[in-house]
Amino acid sequence: MIDTIHSVNIILPLLYFSTFCIYLYDFIKDESKVHNAKRIFLFITLSLHILYLILRTIEFNHPPITNKFEIFTVLAFCLGFSYFLLELLTDIRGTGSFIIFFSLIFQLISTIFISDLIEVKEVLRNKLLGIHVVSALGGYSGFTIAAVYGMLFFMLYKDIKFNRYGLIFKRLPSLEILEKLNFYSVVIGFILLTISMLIGFIWLPIAFPDISYLDPKLISVSIVWLVFGIGILTKLIAKWYGKKVILFSLIGFVIAILSLLVSSVFAESFHSFY
Amino acid sequence: MNLIGISINHRTSSIEQREAVHLSIEEQQQFISLLKNNLLKEGFVLSTCNRTEIFGIPKNHQVHQNLLFNELVTFKNVENLKFENVESYDSENALRHIAKVASGIDSLIIGDSQILSQCKESFRLSVDEDFSNTTTRKLFDVAVRIGKRAIKETLISQGAVTVSYAAIQVIEKIFANLDKKEALIIGAGETSELAAIHLNSRNIGKITITNRTEEKAGKLAKKVSGLTIKFEDFKKHLHKFDIIISATSSKDFIVSYEEIKSAIHLRKGTPIFIMDIAIPRDIDPKVKNIDNVFYNDIDSLNIIVDQNLQKRKHEIPKVQNIINEEIDGFYSWYNTLGIVPTIKSLRSFFESIELDELNKIKNKVSDEDFMKLEEMTKRLVGRILHNPTKKLRELAENNDELDKTNIHTSVLNFLFDLDDFSSNGKKEIE
Repeated sequence: MIDTIHSVNIILPLLYFSTFCIYLYDFIKDESKVHNAKRIFLFITLSLHILYLILRTIEFNHPPITNKFEIFTVLAFCLGFSYFLLELLTDIRGTGSFIIFFSLIFQLISTIFISDLIEVKEVLRNKLLGIHVVSALGGYSGFTIAAVYGMLFFMLYKDIKFNRYGLIFKRLPSLEILEKLNFYSVVIGFILLTISMLIGFIWLPIAFPDISYLDPKLISVSIVWLVFGIGILTKLIAKWYGKKVILFSLIGFVIAILSLLVSSVFAESFHSFY
Repeated sequence: MNLIGISINHRTSSIEQREAVHLSIEEQQQFISLLKNNLLKEGFVLSTCNRTEIFGIPKNHQVHQNLLFNELVTFKNVENLKFENVESYDSENALRHIAKVASGIDSLIIGDSQILSQCKESFRLSVDEDFSNTTTRKLFDVAVRIGKRAIKETLISQGAVTVSYAAIQVIEKIFANLDKKEALIIGAGETSELAAIHLNSRNIGKITITNRTEEKAGKLAKKVSGLTIKFEDFKKHLHKFDIIISATSSKDFIVSYEEIKSAIHLRKGTPIFIMDIAIPRDIDPKVKNIDNVFYNDIDSLNIIVDQNLQKRKHEIPKVQNIINEEIDGFYSWYNTLGIVPTIKSLRSFFESIELDELNKIKNKVSDEDFMKLEEMTKRLVGRILHNPTKKLRELAENNDELDKTNIHTSVLNFLFDLDDFSSNGKKEIE
């Protein structure tokens, strides 16, 4: 089985690259021939990726969340899968290349650096931790996708405003749809992050009796959660629209990335397992 | 192929000249009957706002394009049109011109999608007026097929090529569900009407018209199932509209920067699309600096129109390829027309021998045996003629083998003495 895992580990970035190329080709050329082919390609890539994650879990007897590069491959999958669901639900197919690009990057880094980790801390084999991490990753995937749609919104907004009718104008869906996709991604990300935080609050004191609620990672995640929460409320209650809401999600995304970097790299935390 | 025709179009004549020779449906019917009596055996007349075309197969060799032209100017009593304002076509050139017209690549706006239905209409009229026969009907089929293939297989009709359609294209990049949007049309002239009709065709949620003359606003509102609002009041309601289109003849701005700014504030940032197609402009162009206001005037929308026209121009070679394919097909069919009499005569010749021989033995065999013999001889003749008929058709369908086809047909005619043998078997077999 280990040979299969190694082979799939090499095949996966190649598949993501091929899928990215097909989506990009379709974005540039808009040929009906590849409209369905690209979705089939993404489906095959994601199917192989889920098989790879299952095989790793069985072979190494722990979910693939025990180091950064295992996390990266799960993140690549979450991004691709979230986009796949969005494409199926909305039938908007023009934005795939912008999101699959992130999956490709995360998977490529993972493929290069991932190692066969059999011996891990006992705490990392806990099922609740698995759900906690996967839902957190799902949440961050949602925020990443929202940020991509936010960027696309701004690009199209500028193009229309300044009468530039190029590729972005021709291929992207309307501003209203991009705004909706951004908002749905934020909401899904927010719900998943909330689930992750709730599990964390239940499980962490059991696993770590000396837990500090002033832990940098907990504080940074709470700030991210708060920013996105306020963003959602402004849309739902204050009926904000367009640029302002999108800006909230972009700021939220930047804070999320910065806080993750700062709390993971520079600050001491009980929350570091590797 | 003995096809001739004339074309008075946007390249050859002014709009006044084209208007002068334009034929209404009733006039086309009368004119066709004149052509039938005097000049053409079969053909068609196409008359649109941009072109009048007369094509057909002449009654005799004395009929030329100048006679078609004279017939038209006499019929329409036109004085300001000369033969120099006409394009003349014959044989393959005529066929290619008809194909170009039907495919839209000869139109003033390349890829004009209306021309195909106008061609179909004039072909139908020719059939209804008994002005068509085998060749012209085949010609109609080919022209319509070229038009359809051009639309289906190329991008010749893609993209907005009018300012109003270009505006719709931009609107659709801002809003997702037009059926939930409200539009305000300021002015009720021709341009406003066109814009209102385009919006209505896209199932816009609600159209409201405002105009200084309320009666005109009412008329337009009725046309597009819309509402009206008093001209003095419309500014109070600007924030309610997602789309504002203005096309009045006012010399000054009728909507200011501050008014749009206040409207967008009331809308909490929900975008407004503004299309100012008036000259001079009706809305202060500074509004384009306001967030979530998408302001377009004629110049900015013309950018889209020009882009799409360029794209259509790039599709012309693809359409030309379709025309070439279909014209080759047409000639393959047309060439076989020449061998049909020979094939018919050959078949009749063999069938008359068969009949003659059967008659000789009719009284010498039983009825049952005679039927068997009859069946057998029919099969025999069929099998003997199968290969020569097939080979001759194949030869005729190949446009490069015309000389060879003629030689083979002559040999058959000579060998079986078919020249004197009509296809109904009139000549007696010795």
